[in-house]
Amino acid sequence: MTDNSERRLGVYICYCGGNISDYVDVEKVADAVRNDPFVAAARTNMFTCSDAAQHDMITEIQEKKLDGIVIASCSPKLHLNTFKAMAERAGLNPYQYTQVNIREQCSWAHTHSKDAATEKAIRLVRAGIARTALMRPLNRLRVDTTPSVLVIGAGIAGLRSALALSDMGISVFIIEHEQQAGGMVGRLGKMFPNGKKGSDLINSLLNAVKRRENISLFTSARLVEKNGSVGKFSVKISTANGDIISLTVGAIIVTTGFTPYQPSETEFGFGLNGVLTLPEYADLLNHANGSLKFNCRDVNTVSFIYCVGSREHLKENNAHTYCSRYCCTAAVHAALQAAEVKPDIQQYHIFRDIRTYGKYEVLYEESLKRGSVFLRYEESDPPQVTSRDGKLQVTVKDHLTGGDEIEINTDLVVLVTGMTPTANSDLVNILKLPIGKDGFYNEIHPKLKPVETVIDGLFIAGTAQGPKTASESVASSMAAASKVAGLLLKGYIDLEPLVARVDASLCTWCGACEKACPYGAVQHLHCDGKEIAGIDPVLCKGEGGCVPVCPYNAIEVEGYTNKQITSMIDALAREVA
Amino acid sequence: MLKTNPAFAASVKTASNFNAAACINCGSCTALCPLGVDLHPRTLFRYVLIGAEEKLLENTSVIYSCLLCRMCEDNCPADVPIAENIRSLRSYINRTRFGLMKG
Repeated sequence: MTDNSERRLGVYICYCGGNISDYVDVEKVADAVRNDPFVAAARTNMFTCSDAAQHDMITEIQEKKLDGIVIASCSPKLHLNTFKAMAERAGLNPYQYTQVNIREQCSWAHTHSKDAATEKAIRLVRAGIARTALMRPLNRLRVDTTPSVLVIGAGIAGLRSALALSDMGISVFIIEHEQQAGGMVGRLGKMFPNGKKGSDLINSLLNAVKRRENISLFTSARLVEKNGSVGKFSVKISTANGDIISLTVGAIIVTTGFTPYQPSETEFGFGLNGVLTLPEYADLLNHANGSLKFNCRDVNTVSFIYCVGSREHLKENNAHTYCSRYCCTAAVHAALQAAEVKPDIQQYHIFRDIRTYGKYEVLYEESLKRGSVFLRYEESDPPQVTSRDGKLQVTVKDHLTGGDEIEINTDLVVLVTGMTPTANSDLVNILKLPIGKDGFYNEIHPKLKPVETVIDGLFIAGTAQGPKTASESVASSMAAASKVAGLLLKGYIDLEPLVARVDASLCTWCGACEKACPYGAVQHLHCDGKEIAGIDPVLCKGEGGCVPVCPYNAIEVEGYTNKQITSMIDALAREVA
Repeated sequence: MLKTNPAFAASVKTASNFNAAACINCGSCTALCPLGVDLHPRTLFRYVLIGAEEKLLENTSVIYSCLLCRMCEDNCPADVPIAENIRSLRSYINRTRFGLMKG
């Protein structure tokens, strides 16, 4: 620990143009700390983040030879990096800077009492001073990165992201556990909105992949091992002929897709002759060849039942409570295709809500014009499917005739089935993939970090993450590709040095810290005949879960050492005159 | 229990300009009808769309009591050709039930 007796700190209190000063007497705060130990300068600014204020602070840091600064202003989420960069421009180590939040955590929270808010601000600033006084200069951890990526799953999302990465000069290894690349889209015929065949789309992607020298595609291949961390993962894959190949990649994208919902026996008559799932019906249409036949008989009437295996409110734990997004539009598109083949076909859509959202609403309108009839059912009163003399009947209540019960004689019943997550425990265990409540892989934030996972360098895209249409899958795969390129093209990554460290002289290796760490950053080391814990600073996020569980106080997190925390508590508790 | 007869829906639609796909079931037509008929045009058209022929024939007298004043049609927010649809239904009934307009 640095000897702090000679510290010279600058303390700057911000008015935030009234946001803070309306409730905190900022001049009083500056006066209260001006003569505290280690404080060499204390002043206020109307807007500390303004160029002029930053300029003045830099001048003061250099003239008074300050070796650390405390800025009491807004949340660090807003301006931590602003002031870190300013400290660097002034020649200071950026980790000799503490931001104290006296806006969100003080002035905005305590508008009822100016005195109390001011007193709290003084205590918070003193704690910031105490922490900074014990801060030692730190350098960011620089990690070299390998310009290659592993894509798991060669469906439309995996192939498209591979091509995008290849275009940016990053080598790509794609592994696909099936014998054939292409995934779900590869088996599809005409798809909405432009009627291009899924198999054609996949073939064009596969042809492009074949022409790239920097893409290697392994089919019948699986990931068997992963070590290392962001920038330099060591992975092992097993190939079709049983070989194990070792690769080093800078990042991993998981595009393992979905599994179509398989209705249970007797669910809406599933199992009866003529009751199909949407993928089965799509296949029938794909091979229609000018006439729509099922088991050699003409199909004159089709009844669709929507939301099968989606939007369930069952009490069971594995209920699929989500909307599968693609199925309404796919079913309506299938109806249009059938009307193309057989213009006088009668089609009944028995739905809960039609979600042909966005640009696909026109397909719904078109299908209405082509004679599709839509009948809404309540979840509590679902349609019944029965079979009599080899003919299918669907019974449903029609709201629009005032609740009349209607029996539809139909040649086919199409269950509009949704998407379910693909269970892949091996992959989840190897990659430590985070799984959401719905069973799909989880991003960090659905809007702000939509393809990132809590594991640095591990990205998810496509329907592995949740139900998506093919175009949404590709959009997310492109997002993942651009995040990977942003990570790897520079050649290195700078990581925060505020990570845990182990005092080897105190550690006896009990393993408690290893269990407490959610990031797998604790390693079991053998050092000079002694077993100790070691921290991989690249994996560590400085989260601190390991610190309180250590029975010997052998672990500390840089920037938040026990000594710093204790001195901050002392400073907070000191009486305000 | 209403039984659907797809052939019925198809034959009404193909034999005439019957078109009620745009109907949004708002009920303006019923509210504006000067005759105050028991049956709503929207319900009548619904029977055709789902193919409930029996139900339509049960309401033959309603279909013929319409004045074709087009009050409903002028005010239909979805531009459904209501009066023309009523004429189509009459034509269907004339053909199939009364044996008129053969050939």
